[in-house]
Amino acid sequence: MVELTGRESVPRSMPPIPASAQLLAVAWLRWRIFVNGMFRKRPKGKRQIVGLVFATLLRLIVWPMLALIVVGPVAASGFFAWSAISQGHPQSLASLLLGIALLWQFVSINGLSIAATIPSFDPASLVRFPLGFGRYFVLRSLLGLMTPSTIVGCLALLAAALGIGVANASLALPALVVMAVYALMNIYLTRMIGAWMDRWLANRRFREIFSMLMALFAVGIQFINLRRGPLRAPGTRSSWLINILHSSGSYLYWLPSGFAAQAILLVKHPLAAVAQFAGLLASTVLFAAVFAVRLHKQFLGEHLSEGVSRRASVPPAPRKKAPAPQPAALSAPAVYGAILSPTVAACLRKEWLILSSNGTQLIGLLMPLMFVVIFSMNRAFSAFSSKYFLPAAIAYVLIAALSSLYNIFGVDGRGVQVYLLAPIRMLDVVLAKNLMSLALIVTQVGVAWTIICVLARAPVPASIQISTALWTVFVVAMNLAIGTLRSIQAPRHFVPGQGRQLRASPTNRTSALLVLALLFGSILLQIPVAIASGYFRLPWLAACVFGPLAVAAVFAYALMLRSAERLILANRDVFAEELCKA
Amino acid sequence: MTTPAIDTTALTRRFGDFTAVDSVNLRVEAGQFFGFLGPNGAGKSTTIKMLTGLLAPTSGSIRILGEDLQANSADIKRQIGVVPEGMALFGRLTADEYLRFVGRMYGLDRATTLNRTHELLEFMQLAGEQKKLIADFSHGMQKKLALAAAVIHGPKVLFLDEPFEGVDAVAAGTLKAMLLRMIARGATIFLTSHVLEIVERLCTHIAIIHRGQLVAQGSLDELRAGIWGIGKAGIQEGVVSLGEEKRSLEKRSLEQIFLEIVGTDREGNPAATAPEQELSWLS
Repeated sequence: MVELTGRESVPRSMPPIPASAQLLAVAWLRWRIFVNGMFRKRPKGKRQIVGLVFATLLRLIVWPMLALIVVGPVAASGFFAWSAISQGHPQSLASLLLGIALLWQFVSINGLSIAATIPSFDPASLVRFPLGFGRYFVLRSLLGLMTPSTIVGCLALLAAALGIGVANASLALPALVVMAVYALMNIYLTRMIGAWMDRWLANRRFREIFSMLMALFAVGIQFINLRRGPLRAPGTRSSWLINILHSSGSYLYWLPSGFAAQAILLVKHPLAAVAQFAGLLASTVLFAAVFAVRLHKQFLGEHLSEGVSRRASVPPAPRKKAPAPQPAALSAPAVYGAILSPTVAACLRKEWLILSSNGTQLIGLLMPLMFVVIFSMNRAFSAFSSKYFLPAAIAYVLIAALSSLYNIFGVDGRGVQVYLLAPIRMLDVVLAKNLMSLALIVTQVGVAWTIICVLARAPVPASIQISTALWTVFVVAMNLAIGTLRSIQAPRHFVPGQGRQLRASPTNRTSALLVLALLFGSILLQIPVAIASGYFRLPWLAACVFGPLAVAAVFAYALMLRSAERLILANRDVFAEELCKA
Repeated sequence: MTTPAIDTTALTRRFGDFTAVDSVNLRVEAGQFFGFLGPNGAGKSTTIKMLTGLLAPTSGSIRILGEDLQANSADIKRQIGVVPEGMALFGRLTADEYLRFVGRMYGLDRATTLNRTHELLEFMQLAGEQKKLIADFSHGMQKKLALAAAVIHGPKVLFLDEPFEGVDAVAAGTLKAMLLRMIARGATIFLTSHVLEIVERLCTHIAIIHRGQLVAQGSLDELRAGIWGIGKAGIQEGVVSLGEEKRSLEKRSLEQIFLEIVGTDREGNPAATAPEQELSWLS
């Protein structure tokens, strides 16, 4: 038996714990978390073979794409740096370095917002171990060095240094040194932003605001792209934002990217180069210091006080008799109670409450419509595709909307037990969830349709409108049927507003590929039908194809509903395993 | 006079306008099995976080084994073990990997870490779960693992926040036996629990915190006698008498004492009344 205690077991004056031991322990911890995440337990028997096949297929598709994402910026960085020096426009080196830094930070921030939603290793938990603040600072500086953004950023800077060296050998060594410091500056900038983001993202309301800002940023970029890019209408004035960016070149020299570029380019003027290098070093130290200040607050337990302070901010309410509930005041869908069964009405009301309190989900519903507005306003776009614009836009709106149909119980989590325990038909629950999804889809499609009809330059032909309507019915009914079936067979816990599943079983991960194939397959079915319609000059061909398909899909959905009750009861253990476990 | 294992002076923690822990003077002698009680939100967890160096106090001082916690945080952390609220396990590790990591972080050499990991997993009956990730453990298994991690370095003072919550009776019995052996070997254990029977059976000394303030402190016998020694000996010694009739050494349960102490508000009125008029529809 281990000596579990004793004053004798631990000497009074203990030798200090070597820093290397703790650093290696944390490195080993990260490695084991990575390995365990990669090679989780797999299903056995036939499911194992199916799982392996799907996993291999997924990797064959995803890995080359990931390789391109890594190789692309690195190669481009090396080429642009070489081009800047050898082609005689060295001033663009500062822009290149700024671009790398911006991309680095943008990817890191997005990674943080995703990481905040996944229960994973929390580096702040290291404060409970016997280490001083200095060692904690070093550990936190090192943790995260192996994130994709840092690896790609460092490789891109290395490539830039090599590009400069190839173009002008005398600049090779200064470029390597400066790029190393510039990489360090970026690492501490990432850490500094990350430390603040960690604090803010702990708050659900901030996460929603952050999602909204990122969505607006994406819309803004798209807006600029359409106004400024190759598809912009002739004669359109350049965006004011682009003009500002163009005229900002001289200001870059006051940023770390400017210091870095000048420190390399002014190497023949040692004093000026050293001054620029000192500017770069000072920025690095500044970011590290701000990071250290935030980290020190964390070291003193700031993150542990969040819950207490939140609880404390709400004074206990005086005890008084609770007023009688007023269900009619709850929400608009309460009116459905008059025409639907009480179970369906109650479930609808609950779905509505969850949706209306979730800003991120609401943003997700609005985003496709905003893009439809932007694309509709673009003359070149809508003129180019007056025939195809409506079906393409509706398909775009449906992609996001339909994906939620494949995990209708995910948001409920452990709450699904209430359905299983209550004396109700599960069919009513499914029906309520499907009705809510359908209402949202119909609203989104209706709004998008109206936007296109109002903003499009040319009227949409009746044949296109009817075939698109029939195709929409087919796609929605088919995905409702298959999505509900998958929701029953392979549910997974999903936290609304965080956009990520919390726990994915191997079966879930592999069948996700099948879901993607079905979703995109049904949506892209429009393309061959449209091509055939155009080739044979039969404008009503699409309507003739999608009409019967729509009827068949609605029939399939009705059949699925008939067996939903039985399937759910047969899958109770799956629900418990996937949704109810802590 | 021996050096106390835990000694706080005017320990205070504020969160904005809210005072979670208010001028707590706590003294736990070495070798005591000390129970720290209080209703929900009384400040127990905040106090434990401060005593274990996870949370800095707003004011006041903490001495663990005679050393100032603020000044020697890293050294003192090597001599204490903690099962924190929420357990703070790494779900993506196996139990074996987790204990090895913790052992190395506490400065144990590789061989000692491996030996103790093996022994602790056997003792906690977790040795059969070699490949299972901690995230897939039941709540009780996670508790046992958290306790194993808290003792792997042989701490002199052990802080346990609800250690028996979710642990089955057999495992709880094993854990209690282990804790009592630790006490017999000279360790100090500081325990919080809402299960007063467990505290009563294990602890020799009790402190009760209510609305952030220490409202009682003493041995179980002293509390039974109605003597609530509030404050720190030599600084603010206070004895609150309940009156002659209550001072008799009748064998009152800890639950009765607890309700007597925290069941009243600051003015001495009952804090909660049985809502007899409510839920009348319940059969």
